[in-house]
Amino acid sequence: MATPKTVTPGDPGRLVMALVYLRTMAVFIVVWAIIARWTANTALLPTPLAVIEAFIDLARDLELFQHAGISFGRMLLSVAIASALAIPLGLAMGLSRKLDAFVDPTIEVLRPISGIAWIPLALFIFGIGNALPVFIMTYTAFFPIVLGTVAGVRDVDRRLIDAARTMGVPRRTIVTRIVVPAALPSLLVALRLGVASSWTAVVAAELIGAPSGLGYAVEWYRELLMTPQVMAFIAMIGILGYACDRTVRTLAVRFTPWAVEMRPST
Amino acid sequence: MNAVSQAAVSRLAGKAESRAWPWRGLLLPLVLLAVWQAWGTAAGSVRTPMPTRVLMAAVDLVGSGDLPWGIAQSLGRVFLGFTVAALIAIPLGLAMGSSRAIERNVDPLVESFRPIAAIAILPLAILWLGTGTAAAVMIVAYAAFFPIAINTIAGTKRIDPTLLRAAATMGLGRLATLRTVVVPGALPAIGVGLRIGMGVAWTAIVAAELAVGAKAGGGGSGGIGQMMFVFYAYSIELNRIVVCMIAVGLVALALDRLLRAGMRGLMPWAAP
Amino acid sequence: MSAAGPSQGANSSPSGGSAAAQAASVGVHPAAKLRLEGVGKRFDVAGAAQTVAVADFTLDVAQGEFLVIVGPSGCGKTTILNVLAGLDRPSDGTVKIDGRPIHGPGPERGVMFQDYALFPWRTVWGNVEFGLRYGPAAKGLDSLARQQRVRSYIDLVGLAGSEGKYPHQLSGGMRQRVALARLIANEPDVLLLDEPLAALDAQTRLILQDELLRIWGQDRPPVQRRTVVFITHAIDEAVFLADRVAVMTTHPGRLKALIDIDLPRPRNDATRALPKFQALSQHIWSLIRDEAYRATVT
Repeated sequence: MATPKTVTPGDPGRLVMALVYLRTMAVFIVVWAIIARWTANTALLPTPLAVIEAFIDLARDLELFQHAGISFGRMLLSVAIASALAIPLGLAMGLSRKLDAFVDPTIEVLRPISGIAWIPLALFIFGIGNALPVFIMTYTAFFPIVLGTVAGVRDVDRRLIDAARTMGVPRRTIVTRIVVPAALPSLLVALRLGVASSWTAVVAAELIGAPSGLGYAVEWYRELLMTPQVMAFIAMIGILGYACDRTVRTLAVRFTPWAVEMRPST
Repeated sequence: MNAVSQAAVSRLAGKAESRAWPWRGLLLPLVLLAVWQAWGTAAGSVRTPMPTRVLMAAVDLVGSGDLPWGIAQSLGRVFLGFTVAALIAIPLGLAMGSSRAIERNVDPLVESFRPIAAIAILPLAILWLGTGTAAAVMIVAYAAFFPIAINTIAGTKRIDPTLLRAAATMGLGRLATLRTVVVPGALPAIGVGLRIGMGVAWTAIVAAELAVGAKAGGGGSGGIGQMMFVFYAYSIELNRIVVCMIAVGLVALALDRLLRAGMRGLMPWAAP
Repeated sequence: MSAAGPSQGANSSPSGGSAAAQAASVGVHPAAKLRLEGVGKRFDVAGAAQTVAVADFTLDVAQGEFLVIVGPSGCGKTTILNVLAGLDRPSDGTVKIDGRPIHGPGPERGVMFQDYALFPWRTVWGNVEFGLRYGPAAKGLDSLARQQRVRSYIDLVGLAGSEGKYPHQLSGGMRQRVALARLIANEPDVLLLDEPLAALDAQTRLILQDELLRIWGQDRPPVQRRTVVFITHAIDEAVFLADRVAVMTTHPGRLKALIDIDLPRPRNDATRALPKFQALSQHIWSLIRDEAYRATVT
């Protein structure tokens, strides 16, 4: 049975890992190519080559990046709005049992109603356009961020607060200088989840209710039965999603080097 | 520790921990509902959704059987897709968690597809399988696969290696160790994965049915997602949309509770 | 040496170099630095009946004394410390410093916690200066004066050169030094230490026991020493460090005996070899033994 894997930076294993990665993807692509050749229907299953060509073409005339930029911009905006609402609220709720008792039930009632379920109603309110995806994505990102922030504040080590109290530090300073930094790691995990959720929502929202963006492009090309392009955009969704997650993780390591980072459970 | 920290922080905030008035939680929702009702009555039109109208629509939809039927259809697809996902993800996760070789080789595929949401695959699913149940099940299975697999892997890896060594020193073979040590040890994490997977699956089916409803027109696959779209695009029944939204939320809660209870039953040794 | 009952703090044998013993031999402590009288603490455990952690605890701690509280696990030692620190309120009885009742935590009673409670996002320097920067002392210190103080205490505990490191980069022994520096940088009148050496390996422990005594001032005259209340469950540690040892029983926590440790100061490795050291340790162990055994089977 395996023992926990530890990879240290500078480890020669890094190169081996990269090679194994390439090998697996190569196997995948080869199997794909074989099946594609066998079905011989580009609209149904294009060959890997066709998809790569489509990707390069779309990149060359910038269409790929235009849609990607639009989707990415929406996500940034949504996460920013959601954070601006959720983090202060989460901090306040974590610090005040009273406030939490008032607000938490409402949050818990709304949370199971996924952002996706809001799309029809939101379509009626906003119509098709930019506002719809941003609304849906903001809503989706809000919940993990607020709940994660509350948990982060709650989980602050009691001893740290006590230590500050025994040094005669006043309460307000304890909140700003102890609670907030101590909750920061959890906050960043919550942010990661928020980013991931809203990136999932972006596709659904754009597919149904936006005139632009990666989700829209996927559906547009599907209707045209141009499957290589469909797959190219799907690949872009994956690449950007991975890049965003990586970025937040790097930020977390940079700003909270003392915290143990764990892989997400989604 | 968590409860202690809570106490410490709230002591810090100066608020007394009062067990008084559990009705506090209802205050905000009731206020919001009242404001909504007032706004609707004053500023709205015949179509505007309001709490009272939503209630009537709910009675309608439930009574006519439309809502239960829609939910049943959606649930059916969810269970199918979820089961498919679990049947693939759990054994795969156990294997990947136990063997570094397997993990190293399979993980690139898992990690490459994980950032691609299930709904992004929907156009492909429709292309290959049409707009019916088959495509829906595929989407749900794809969506549920990742949380289940990833949590199973993590849970398997987290098993204390001394437990495995203990089993070996007691003479258990690989298969027996798997059955008696690895699976029970990973069960809590698998449970977490299943719960998250179920949540994701339910969201995915609603999204898929919505999208299909939007693209394939009024007829077709059914399910609650499609119902919602029809109420938006065709009959413009906003109150019914809200009823469906609430139903989506309630079903999500119910599924989660069910799974939690199920996992508790399977793991009498775990702390709640 | 002698043992005393719960309500008496006196002993009758002469001793050298211990302010506490000199005061104690007089019998009454009107000027005790810390006074616990009839202190009891009960906790409400969720659902079940109350737990009595400590009952009828009376103890005086003299100015400049190094008092060690020893007892089996769960006997309420930490509760007593929390009460002295002001982090917990006693259910019964009173606790006073310099004759004034204690209402809450404060910088004149510095605390060192079992897991050091260092702020992980601050460097060594940032931790040590925290109380000076944000506590009541901040008003009287300008930036330069504060820097000088922090510098001197970092040097005192032997951490010069590590100011820029973060706690997660430090060994256990180094973290203990940071916690100590942070504590004494505020120049508290009283130091309350909750099993500060428990997390260290045996060898580091011995080194840091010496360091602790040095920083406390065992080489200096008694009037220049600060008051220390130190908690441990290691008897040899207690005998090595203390002027007096308070032995606690468990369930509920009570003061069983007060033992005067009249070993000469300054104490060092040679002290541990003295027959009197062994005799004291044995005596204390004999007082705790039964309880310790029971703790392992209940």
